[in-house]
Amino acid sequence: MRPCGTFDERYSQDMAILRIKRHWAVLIGALILLYTFPLYGSYYFISLINSLSITIIIVLGLQLVSGYCGQISFGQAAFMAVGAYTSAILTGKLGVSFFIALPLSGMVSGLIGLGGGAPSLRIKGFYLAMATIAIHFVVMWLILHLQITGTTQGLHPPAPRMAGFEFDSDEKIYYIIVTVMLLMTYGARNIVRTRVGRAFVAIRDNDLAAEVMGIELYRYKLLAFFISCFYAGIAGSLWAHWIQMVHPEQFTLLHALNYIGMLIVGGGGSIPGVFFGVLFLRLLDEGVMFIAPILSSVFPWIGIHPAASMSVSVFGIVLILFLIFEPRGLAHRWEIFKASYRLYPFSH
Amino acid sequence: MKEFFQLAIPGLMVGSLYALVAAAIVLVYKSTRVVSLAHGQLLAFGGLFFWIGLVALDLPLPLSVLMTLACSIWMGWLVERITLRPLIGQPLISAFLMTFAIFMALDGIFQLILKGESKTYATRLALGELDILGVPVRVVQLISFGVVLLVFLSLALFFRHTKTGLGMRATAEDHQLSQSTGINVRTIFSLIWIISATVASIAGMGTAYVMDIHFPLPYIGIKGLIVALFGGLDSLTGALFAGLILGVLENLIAGYLDPLVGGGLKDVAAYALLLIILLVKPYGLFGLKRIERV
Repeated sequence: MRPCGTFDERYSQDMAILRIKRHWAVLIGALILLYTFPLYGSYYFISLINSLSITIIIVLGLQLVSGYCGQISFGQAAFMAVGAYTSAILTGKLGVSFFIALPLSGMVSGLIGLGGGAPSLRIKGFYLAMATIAIHFVVMWLILHLQITGTTQGLHPPAPRMAGFEFDSDEKIYYIIVTVMLLMTYGARNIVRTRVGRAFVAIRDNDLAAEVMGIELYRYKLLAFFISCFYAGIAGSLWAHWIQMVHPEQFTLLHALNYIGMLIVGGGGSIPGVFFGVLFLRLLDEGVMFIAPILSSVFPWIGIHPAASMSVSVFGIVLILFLIFEPRGLAHRWEIFKASYRLYPFSH
Repeated sequence: MKEFFQLAIPGLMVGSLYALVAAAIVLVYKSTRVVSLAHGQLLAFGGLFFWIGLVALDLPLPLSVLMTLACSIWMGWLVERITLRPLIGQPLISAFLMTFAIFMALDGIFQLILKGESKTYATRLALGELDILGVPVRVVQLISFGVVLLVFLSLALFFRHTKTGLGMRATAEDHQLSQSTGINVRTIFSLIWIISATVASIAGMGTAYVMDIHFPLPYIGIKGLIVALFGGLDSLTGALFAGLILGVLENLIAGYLDPLVGGGLKDVAAYALLLIILLVKPYGLFGLKRIERV
């Protein structure tokens, strides 16, 4: 909410994402900080940002299909796997450059995602959620049993290379990952305020009413699945070339469940919400990893390695709390904070 | 033919357990319209409580069964009271996500108790084997098959002849209308979760006998959901038949087709089947088709 007296006088002003000079200053400052980070940041934080950025790309895709279009998808991990394997096969076996393989793996994943979105023609709600769980298992089974994906061995894609320069360490590939993440965020931010994004919201709020208004349900639902799987594919490709190893164990249903959890915590129907959700749950996870050994030394009866099971439990409990007390997620808190900051010292 | 029976009869035994989990899910869906992912955990904890009673505390069999039932009644009540009651009136999809959150929260506790080990009480309950159509079947599995049929029968009688059961059916039809006829919908919700958790824990006792108490045990709940969708989410008969069919089909597919594709079909067959069902008959074999208004 803006304070009264703030008017948009030109069309470009109305359309601007960054309205005032202060926004630009914050953005440029943040970009400088982000791009110079490998010069002084520690290895731990660089790889943390890498994995955060990849997760953000996946959850952005999920936000578009679930948060905006209302089609809950548990298949995001499988489509990430499709992207990762496509990219690994293209670069490793066919010798294609990473920078061509990256969009291609997004496209392949998106096209397979169209197949995944096909059930949304007939079913919705949790029926569709179950169908996406089924798709997850079918895709992962295929990956485990096809020869081209290296079955249980996995694949080892090479590091990206451009004009003789090899992005072979965490610090170097950091630039690619962060750039792609920013581009994808920009893309998502713009998709949701176009005709397509508004159609998604209409479908989420009431699909029958949307159809009556003249929105082609099937086309837009499939489009939502395509975009979300495209995002997952891009994230998978980045992941494959960062870790330089793809294996079915990296893409389990638990990962997909985690992404849904990030969406709930962040808040559906909001692009900043994705960032909040991913950051909150990942930092919580790191916190549990840190505190678990201490807890296990104080209370020996919880076992020697409680971190993994404790983080699952904490994740579940946080989700329960959010669903009861803050069903609109952290994004809603952020909106309230912004409104009160802008209107200060008045309350309305 | 012998091979067929060798595959089909164990399939029938396991299928009956799937049917029981599905029944627990159907119970909850019928009266609260919530599809539950949490039942996998209720099942796993049923098995775990039984193991604690029988092996860890070394109680006699009837006492450990009673302990398991008491614990799961308490758990079902707790789950409904703490997590799902605050969501009454919210969109159903958030209740669905809530059951998923419960699944995760309990999953961590389950693994924390197991500490990565695998527990079993199959050796404690060795009652020998019986020959049926030339296939040796463990007596305990036969007993559990009988128990499953008994549970289904008593559920059917309960819904047809008791006042509470009729109240639950009325609640399933329309929450507000049944409230205005004097049925306490909240009590019904509590009760239904208690019954459903008990049914799930009975299934858990049977399942843990067949496949050990280990970290994949809660994922049987997803199998139960598949069965429930296959039979129709609001039909107990559907759950029974679909469970038996899925159990047999899974084994037959694994037995006959695995050599052709190189194994692992048993896990994916159920999901592939689910996709086909959802595309061809989205409301299941016996489910009611709902007509919507804007």
